[in-house]
Amino acid sequence: MTAIDAGQPVLAAPERRRPIGLLLVAVPVLLVIWLIIWPIISAVIQTVWVKTPEGGNSFSVETYRFFFSDGYSLSNLSITLWTTGVCAILLLVVCLPIALYLRFSDSKVAAYVQGLAIFPMFVPSIILSFAFIRVLGPNGTVDLVFNAVGLPKIRSPYLTPWGPVIGLVWDNIPLTVLILLSGLGNVSNQAIEAARDVGAGKLALLWHIILPRISNSVLVAISFAVLGIFSAFTLPYVLGPAAPEMMGPFMQRTFRELFEPQTAITQAVITFGFCIVFGLFYVRSVARNQAP
Amino acid sequence: MTSVTIRRPTDWTGIIFAVVLTLVIVLPLVVVGTWAFTNVWRFPALIPQEFGLRFWNQTLARADVWSSITMSLTLATTVTFLSALVCLPAAYAFARLDFPGRNILFFSFLAGHAFPKFGLLVAIAGIFLQLNLIGTFWGVVLIQLVGTLLFMIWIPVAAFQSVDRRMEEAARDVGASPMRVFWSITLPQAGPTIAAAILLSFVGTFYETEGAWLIGAPQVRTLPVLMISFINNQPVIQYGAVLSVLLWVPSFIALLFARRVVNSGSFARGFGG
Repeated sequence: MTAIDAGQPVLAAPERRRPIGLLLVAVPVLLVIWLIIWPIISAVIQTVWVKTPEGGNSFSVETYRFFFSDGYSLSNLSITLWTTGVCAILLLVVCLPIALYLRFSDSKVAAYVQGLAIFPMFVPSIILSFAFIRVLGPNGTVDLVFNAVGLPKIRSPYLTPWGPVIGLVWDNIPLTVLILLSGLGNVSNQAIEAARDVGAGKLALLWHIILPRISNSVLVAISFAVLGIFSAFTLPYVLGPAAPEMMGPFMQRTFRELFEPQTAITQAVITFGFCIVFGLFYVRSVARNQAP
Repeated sequence: MTSVTIRRPTDWTGIIFAVVLTLVIVLPLVVVGTWAFTNVWRFPALIPQEFGLRFWNQTLARADVWSSITMSLTLATTVTFLSALVCLPAAYAFARLDFPGRNILFFSFLAGHAFPKFGLLVAIAGIFLQLNLIGTFWGVVLIQLVGTLLFMIWIPVAAFQSVDRRMEEAARDVGASPMRVFWSITLPQAGPTIAAAILLSFVGTFYETEGAWLIGAPQVRTLPVLMISFINNQPVIQYGAVLSVLLWVPSFIALLFARRVVNSGSFARGFGG
């Protein structure tokens, strides 16, 4: 760091450029470069620039070819895509009505509903997993209640692909509702009233007035959910079936139990590839809202 | 003065939402809470045969529970302290100083959020493998520290930017030194928001499971990691239930302090909404 900045007049403006700022931000920036940007670049390089038996290195897509020809890897990928898709649809189906209700209601019940919708944010997913098993697992609360009223036991979603779906939807409700609600803030009451005055029904109102105005928020909410769900670990690991497994548990097992870091990193790069569109869109939206 | 009372129609939509959400969100947690204070609960009774604190004594007598509580608190404290140490000066610089590359560096903290988190953790674990950091305390500290950077910089930047500049200039005009201005004017105004960021970072680190599991297990066993093994291998349900109640305490504290922040519009905008 140079003390004298030769290129610039020292007292030019009140907002003069002071390289001391660079010094203050150096440590966190270096951490980001070392532990986020470098691992991503290194993961890509490492998986396509592999050691040859002769001792040199050469370009090869062998690890990727293995992944996309291995039946087990492919079924893990497809269960992940299925879970992500189902969760995204369910989240919209559940959260859009809640957000719409909260936007257009000011009753006391609305405050309670908002509190409940945000509450899962304060429940760690590991506690959620335990609660899920106690309620929907074998001999859980639902079984107890059904038994008490003379109904047969349920086919528990625990350890089936629906286990992670239910858990992940539960976990993602708060932020989805908040993001949609923030988008609905851009829908003015005048626009709604004007449409009502010319006789628009509720569905027409939703389709022609509200949805076009919140489409960006819907995409942000979906992107955020997809990024979180595609490589989710804890909920699929605890609630999901042992096989096929979602990419999160699959990568963990490949890395720690099979000791095949190269294969695990290949799987990680594949998850990056599937999420890159959502990731870039999400980051762009956040950045647009947060200009310093 | 005349008062006009408007009779509102009953909010049936709201009542339906309230009932369904109560059943889906509150009930599962009430069940866990009940299990924690239950001595005997055999199928098919609807309510436990015997309530009591027997399993609190048994759970708290377990060595693995205490060692993981200590580990979790040590980890969360270390990570939060280091995070504050490196991030708060950086946040001040981003908010107040102009330097080359300021904007691109400010947004560089978003980089991690463009990728699925666990995939990124596996890529980092690949680097840690070469550095022999797998299964070590400091490996977990590093991976959790990276997770706190974005919030520990962005929230304090907003706090420093909202400080009234005219008060600072007035203090400087009457001869206060820059340190004195920072200490007496800037910090008291930015303090509450920064404290909220530190609390959120502590709580977030306390519950961080994926990095701790991938990098630390089995040598570094935090409370959530112990909870996973209780869920997978522990036949006594109450151990898990008691641990859940213990585990929820930091989240409850965060809930008390953070509700106002979460309900404000700027919070959702921070997530791109």
